[in-house]
Amino acid sequence: MQRRFVAAALTAGLLFAGSASAQIKIGFHAPQSGPAAADGKSSTVGAEIARDWINEQGGVLGQKIELVIYDDQNKPDQAVPIANKLIGQDKVVAAVSGSYSAPTRAAAAVFQTAGIPYFSAYGVHPDITSGGDFAFRGVTLGPPQGKGAAKFIADKFGKAKVTLLTMNNDFGQSIADGFKEAGPKYGLSITKEYTFGLGERQFGPIIASVKNDNPDVIYAIGYYFVGGPLVAQLRAAGLKQPIVGAQAFDSMKLMEIAKEASDGVFVVGGMDRLRKTPPDLQKFEAEFKKRAGYETEAVAANCYSSVMLVADAIKRAGSTDPKKIRDALAATKNFPMLTGNLGYFNAVGEMYMPLEVTVVKDGNFVGTAVIDDPSILAPPGK
Amino acid sequence: MYFVELGVKGLVYGCMYAMMAVGLTLVYGLLRILHIAHAGVFALGAFIAVVVANETGSLALGFALAIVVSAVAGVAIYRFAYQPLLGHAAFVPMIVSIGIFIVMQEAFRMVFGAYGIAFDYNPYYTATVDLAGIRLNYVEIAMVVAATVLLVGFGLFASLTRAGVGWRATVSDPQMATSFGVDPVRVRYLNFIFGSGLAGIAGALVGLLNNYVEPTMGALVSYKALAIIVLGGLGSVRGTLIASLILGVVESYGTIYLADIFDRDAIGFLFLIVVLMVRPQGLLGRG
Repeated sequence: MQRRFVAAALTAGLLFAGSASAQIKIGFHAPQSGPAAADGKSSTVGAEIARDWINEQGGVLGQKIELVIYDDQNKPDQAVPIANKLIGQDKVVAAVSGSYSAPTRAAAAVFQTAGIPYFSAYGVHPDITSGGDFAFRGVTLGPPQGKGAAKFIADKFGKAKVTLLTMNNDFGQSIADGFKEAGPKYGLSITKEYTFGLGERQFGPIIASVKNDNPDVIYAIGYYFVGGPLVAQLRAAGLKQPIVGAQAFDSMKLMEIAKEASDGVFVVGGMDRLRKTPPDLQKFEAEFKKRAGYETEAVAANCYSSVMLVADAIKRAGSTDPKKIRDALAATKNFPMLTGNLGYFNAVGEMYMPLEVTVVKDGNFVGTAVIDDPSILAPPGK
Repeated sequence: MYFVELGVKGLVYGCMYAMMAVGLTLVYGLLRILHIAHAGVFALGAFIAVVVANETGSLALGFALAIVVSAVAGVAIYRFAYQPLLGHAAFVPMIVSIGIFIVMQEAFRMVFGAYGIAFDYNPYYTATVDLAGIRLNYVEIAMVVAATVLLVGFGLFASLTRAGVGWRATVSDPQMATSFGVDPVRVRYLNFIFGSGLAGIAGALVGLLNNYVEPTMGALVSYKALAIIVLGGLGSVRGTLIASLILGVVESYGTIYLADIFDRDAIGFLFLIVVLMVRPQGLLGRG
């Protein structure tokens, strides 16, 4: 009720203020309905917190930030008209995608043509940035994530035999590719790789096979809603090997679904919820819980930091000229994202960020290692 | 042993598919409607079970209400969506059914939250029994027992009781059955009560098995159930049962031996295409 009142008051304020207090418009799209709506909601709440906090601090260049938000339903054919609308009708100076790879890829081409900087908060597909120099990404690409996982497993468990459980989409495949490339260099051997679809919740046959292979470590690349049932079923089947999960295991739902079975599961590219740095992390988690009604999801943190970074770039550019904002974004150095310290962007808009490894302990993600090795994590060029 | 275990796991999935698909095939047999919204009823059962169990702490109450609410939902869909459209071409109620399914999914998302719900107390999906080297969890065993008891019970009902005979008569020749005093409307209600209740139980069991109930969970099984009833010969309950079990087993082996080429869901459809090429009327359909 209170939120609705605030929204109404804001709208009324906008109507009366007119152009007197100009706003800097930043576009934002995320899936708010359909199957991907859960992440879309978290993304949107994260981005809105950033907007509100920036405005509380007086905005950017003396103006308030306005987020123009659209629901892309996780569909490319929705993302393209949304991108056109944001550019042509709303006249945004930059845009952030709080969406998955498919819509983000489609919209990226439109923003590139229009010369508007576009920031993919967590979409991992390589093509998002490869289309031109106006697209940036706030998450580590799949292959470096996979290489990071190989290094972590080798550091922690030595020359282990690893079984790969890979989700058969671009997210899963690209991480698995990196792992398979780097694994042997670290002395890891891959006993077998099993693949499964996004809709899979029952892993009986795969688990029976993993049991048969008897690896030292299980590396599972999938989303939390697949990871939860998978982890529970692996443990129920009596498999006691360490389980290492990929970034998208990072959701509090993992623990809710798998309960005690999730204890000790590692997440490469996860987010330590108890970290004291950057200083806004704990404050963000409290605010997110207040607004969303559940604990912080990593995608929310990604979107929050993406909006913060775009605002910071506008400030550094000292202008709302999209070209200058692009240049300022490209020149970003050491920006504290909630997920880690963003070192720099390479020529194609891919970032360098050390990869955090967390472990599930008493129902929380706790940091256990940081992989900060440019030789494996450096973003690939064109 | 490993090879046998894969087969057993497949049979468990087959039982799950059967509980879902039998309702579909019953509706098709009686009304010639592809009841897509059945998948929504399945997910509704799961949501009722998880919400009631979490709120009251009683899983039994959750299941009981899941069955009742699913049955009521199924009857309501028949009464308010299908019955007014019975005279129309088959695609009209089918499109309505797809619409109802989409509305149900979005309603689940709005009412129960997009992230889905896990059971607060569910020791059953991780507690296992070792049967001659094959490990099954309690929910998997419950799935097999429920499918067997309910479907055998249904078979006995259909062949031994007056109402059951009336039902079968209505399926094979509605006009003739009516002239012998069978009330076709009553048969339809019975049909939706039984089929939807079964889907509700299946939904609740799948929710327990995954320990996760999500708004889209119906979509995962809906198109597989459609494949199964086509495979079984549309409208044939026996064919549907056999097709369910075969698909479960084929998927189970396929997941391991064919997964490099196809994902599990594609395997089911590949199997469907192959069978339909050889037997266009389905496994047990009349040619």
